[in-house]
Amino acid sequence: MKFLDRFLTNVGESIKKSPVKVVYPMVEAIHTMFFTPGHATRQGPHIRDAIDMKRFMGIVIFALIPVILVACYNTGLQAQVDGFWPAFLFGFLKLLPVIIVTYAVGLGWEMIFAHIRGHAINEGFLVTGILLPLTLPATIPLWQVAVAVTFAVIIGKEVFGGTGMNLLNPALTARAFLFFTYPGDISGDRVWVAIDGFTGATPLSAVAAAEDNAVSALESAGFGWNDMFLGLIPGSMGETSTLAILIGAVILLITGIASWRIMAATLLGGYGMALIISFFAGENATGMMSLPAHYHLVMGGFMFGLVFMTTDPVSAAGTNTGKWVYGVLIGVMAILIRTFNPAYPEGMMLAILFGNVFSPLIDHFVIQANIKRRLRHG
Amino acid sequence: MGQFKLKRGYDIPLAGKAERRLESAHRPLRVAVLPIDFRGLRPALKIEEGSQVQRGSVLFVDKRRPEIKFLSPKAGTVSKIVRGERRIIQRIIVDVGPEDSAVEMPRYAEGELKTLTREQATSALLDAGLWPALRQRPYTRIAQPGGSPKAIFISAVDSAPLQAETDFILESRQQDFQLGVNVLSKLCDGPIHLSVSSKTSEWFTGIEGVDMHSFHGRHPSGNISVQVHHVDRMKSGELIWYISPRHVAQIGKILTQGSYAAEKIVALTGPSLSDNYYVKSIEGADISCFIPQGLSDVTHRFISGNVLTGRKTDAAGFLSYYDEMVTVVPEVQEKRFFGWVQPGFKAASWWPAFVSWFLPRKPRVINTDLNGEDRAFVATGNYERVLPMDILPSHLCKAILVEDVELMEQLGIYEVAPEDFSLCTYICPSKIEFESIIESGTILMEKEG
Repeated sequence: MKFLDRFLTNVGESIKKSPVKVVYPMVEAIHTMFFTPGHATRQGPHIRDAIDMKRFMGIVIFALIPVILVACYNTGLQAQVDGFWPAFLFGFLKLLPVIIVTYAVGLGWEMIFAHIRGHAINEGFLVTGILLPLTLPATIPLWQVAVAVTFAVIIGKEVFGGTGMNLLNPALTARAFLFFTYPGDISGDRVWVAIDGFTGATPLSAVAAAEDNAVSALESAGFGWNDMFLGLIPGSMGETSTLAILIGAVILLITGIASWRIMAATLLGGYGMALIISFFAGENATGMMSLPAHYHLVMGGFMFGLVFMTTDPVSAAGTNTGKWVYGVLIGVMAILIRTFNPAYPEGMMLAILFGNVFSPLIDHFVIQANIKRRLRHG
Repeated sequence: MGQFKLKRGYDIPLAGKAERRLESAHRPLRVAVLPIDFRGLRPALKIEEGSQVQRGSVLFVDKRRPEIKFLSPKAGTVSKIVRGERRIIQRIIVDVGPEDSAVEMPRYAEGELKTLTREQATSALLDAGLWPALRQRPYTRIAQPGGSPKAIFISAVDSAPLQAETDFILESRQQDFQLGVNVLSKLCDGPIHLSVSSKTSEWFTGIEGVDMHSFHGRHPSGNISVQVHHVDRMKSGELIWYISPRHVAQIGKILTQGSYAAEKIVALTGPSLSDNYYVKSIEGADISCFIPQGLSDVTHRFISGNVLTGRKTDAAGFLSYYDEMVTVVPEVQEKRFFGWVQPGFKAASWWPAFVSWFLPRKPRVINTDLNGEDRAFVATGNYERVLPMDILPSHLCKAILVEDVELMEQLGIYEVAPEDFSLCTYICPSKIEFESIIESGTILMEKEG
């Protein structure tokens, strides 16, 4: 192993001196992937926790594995590929190019900015690069992915000062960019199944289009609550299976990587709002208004957003009290958009971006409360 | 008596706690007083290289407050004055002579100490070289003689990693301690707060003239800021003084003995030492006199103090003035292959992100590996969980980084010291140096007045 370490050090050193020194951060990133940097503490505390950003982000990716596996299988299944393995392979070959394009373009930009700013590549994009593909339909054109990632990294993140400073969740920024720029390729009924010319609604659009009771509209389209919970239904690649997402949630919560406060608050806000709507909707309601609250949780991107997107520590509220407000706000907004804005049956993406924008304001009020408390007590 | 149960905090499972066993150590051949131990101090030397000194001779005084004196812990010859960058004096080294002659000091009868006036008590402490033991908050500095703090705090709660047990190092010193408290009570109109934990000896509860408090919880429950925060929170512009229990006993001892007494019991801790115990030593002792031979400072780190806030020294280094312990941990030697994906059966971590977290907790050998690299500040919101105060650590640090003095003050910078943030630094995945940030904020506050 010493040999590999020495080799990577040498490659790094010679690249640093060469005209292509812009790729040095990438070599360094690969080097630290293979070997821990082995730096010693310079001052007290003289010992440090075993955690680092690689581990931190690595666990998020680990938590996404069930989602990725179901995404591969389901993409094949929806495209009516027979057999488990052929379906899985079909889906894998749909997802993989999207991931590769996302990583190649995103890390390319990260590398350039790391070079300009003179720091190492931050691991945050490792997660963004998996999250984005999972929120896209299998039919997404790869060039659009490249454009969206470029937009998200440069406008969504680097203009704010880079990792840790961005206001919006980068993966959702990219998705929102696609949603508003190329709506035909990411919404409607034609994009969810990876077969040319195939038209198939997602549960959300089925309900949005329903002229009578939502549950019977779902039943007639073949979506029971259990089907939607398991996730073998059309939708964005990674968002369909609530079960797989919940496995990821358990991993994130046990390891303490994601904030349980945000998850709980978003669930509370979303479910609570859905209950309130059902309560006021009455017996004769139709469409979204008639959808029972527990259906909202297993439909569309609600759960995926709740577990993996709202909990992004950079774009979420930073104070503990703020996290509750932030989560409830997102949950409420997601259900409100779904129910009352027929143009956007999927409200979660916009609700989270909305929450991101408000999180500094929420934190501001929490900080002011802390200051007032100090003046009073202190 | 106040009872405080702190839920937040963390005890690092570091191996190498000293057994409660007192061993004899070699007599130190050299002792040193380190002006850098005293935050913000500019020393004015009273001796030069080659000067003969006695135990209790003045080595240097505070340039701005020359009444504050720093005494030699042993008789001998000043062999070296070590200067660092910008000629700042780092160490004044005294080669210990064969005879232990001492400067004579006023000697007080035990009853007399109770009748001192404030001025008399102040000058008694100043003349006996005991004043530097008294420090103030905000901004950890030697207290201002004649100042009027709202209270004096003494913490006998040992919460830092492997910390020397107050209970053990002050065994059978109740009398000295009580005398010290009697003197301190003259310095301040407010109360003297003494905090103990469940581990502290019974005799502390018999001390008169103090407000007793008991603190239960993990580190940093023993930190002064944390105790002040819970017992009698500071307002902006207020002042408290604090002193360690050992120094309180030292006051009693020196003032009744009539000469300087530099003895202290030191804990030898840390996983690098094959045996961990206590030794009888003196202030400023050359640590090589109790560290086993053959332990190299290339492969091991010698720390005066605890592993979180102590100062890195070397095998030929000296014990710092305020420290009652030496910690030795291994230096990081190797890079680990795919370190970040390993299950981590032996990883020491606050985070439940390694298998070791789910295994029975046992002390671990932890080396000086930074375990990562500097990264952008990702506010994970976990810092609050190791800081048992109503302080917003990430937001305070952000205010300091943008040098917003007003906001720093509003967020309570005057309530904290860098040491309170050492666990935030410890658990941080981005390896942010919170202590340096707090220190730079403190310097800025002092400058802005």
